[in-house]
Amino acid sequence: MNYDKLLNISVELGCRLMSSGAEIYRVEESVRRLLQAYGLDSPEVFAIPNCVIVSIATPEGHPITRMRRIAGHGTDIELLERCNDLCRRLCVQTPPLEEAQGLLDALPGRSYAPWQVLLGYGIAPAFFSPLFGGGVGDTLSALMGGLAVGFCLLYAGRFIGSNSFFRTAICSAVASLVSLMLVRLGLGRSVDTVTISVLMVLVPGVALTNAMREIMAGDIISGLSRAADSILTAAAIAIGTAVGLAIGGLF
Amino acid sequence: MLGIWSDYILPCLCAFLACVGFTLVFNIHGVGKLICGVGGALGWLIYLLGGSSILAAFWASAAIGLFSEIMARLRRCPVTGYLLVALLPLVPGGGIYYAMRYCVAGDTQRFLDTLLHTFGMASALAVGAMMTASLFRAAYPHLHRSRPAR
Repeated sequence: MNYDKLLNISVELGCRLMSSGAEIYRVEESVRRLLQAYGLDSPEVFAIPNCVIVSIATPEGHPITRMRRIAGHGTDIELLERCNDLCRRLCVQTPPLEEAQGLLDALPGRSYAPWQVLLGYGIAPAFFSPLFGGGVGDTLSALMGGLAVGFCLLYAGRFIGSNSFFRTAICSAVASLVSLMLVRLGLGRSVDTVTISVLMVLVPGVALTNAMREIMAGDIISGLSRAADSILTAAAIAIGTAVGLAIGGLF
Repeated sequence: MLGIWSDYILPCLCAFLACVGFTLVFNIHGVGKLICGVGGALGWLIYLLGGSSILAAFWASAAIGLFSEIMARLRRCPVTGYLLVALLPLVPGGGIYYAMRYCVAGDTQRFLDTLLHTFGMASALAVGAMMTASLFRAAYPHLHRSRPAR
């Protein structure tokens, strides 16, 4: 068997899993099970949120290691489910490596068109505003604010840059500015309600939940780094909103 | 009757639709969308019934955790997606905002109050969901073990 190829496939699978937002234990266990299914005794896998290291020893005793660094990524549940299914299938069927590589390359499945994702960014805040006591006007304002933030996240990445702290801060500033404007124009009633509803798309709920899942699963390093991420995101939201309101207060 | 409608049913419907909106952002398709929405509505209902306190958030997230684990087992999918989206309505975005407002206004007492309340909410959410997940796994270890890469 070509162990170099097997290692490449397993690292690729781990990388895909990680970038779809899987937990650390899922990445490590999936890769380990895959390698064991192909007959390796004690594969070693180490993963943290932006790096996967896989090390195996061939039956002749020759050690091979590969490391992949993973850039910042979002959450893509469709890809996660497909990776999980593929891993399960590969472990049961253990097809030839070429076929496995082909299956892996065919992984990225359906995804929503950009306008649908933008719509999602609009719908979520719109329906959050009644939960925080908003009326019809607040709902419409939150819809527009959400669309503005979604637009910034989806299309303005080039101008905002890839730094997630900075990006969140700018998006929160946009959120509070748009809310302030719409309330001044008379569409929304309460700046607080509209801003909070729009901020719900930026709030670090995902990072927080993931952090606790990692810590409970025993991956303390990853858990702490994700917890730090969620606290930083919250700080970025607070700073961005404050700046937005201050700018809006000037006029 | 009207009270029940505006106090409970309408907010839950909104939570449902908000969560469905988030499924577009996280690229969830098919039945998963419905599961996320129902999870969010269930969590919000329990949060309202519990009196919108930190303890209520704990029970709500425990219920969401249990619901997502069961659904993930039924559909043989990773639990992550359902859990993340269903918990989102409960995440204390308002807490972060008001803490910032009080901090900027120089109202230290209320700033610290709100900040600690926000941390309390966040911890209640995290602990509630994790507790049910761990209990569920302890109760059905064979499900966890017999299927690869759960």
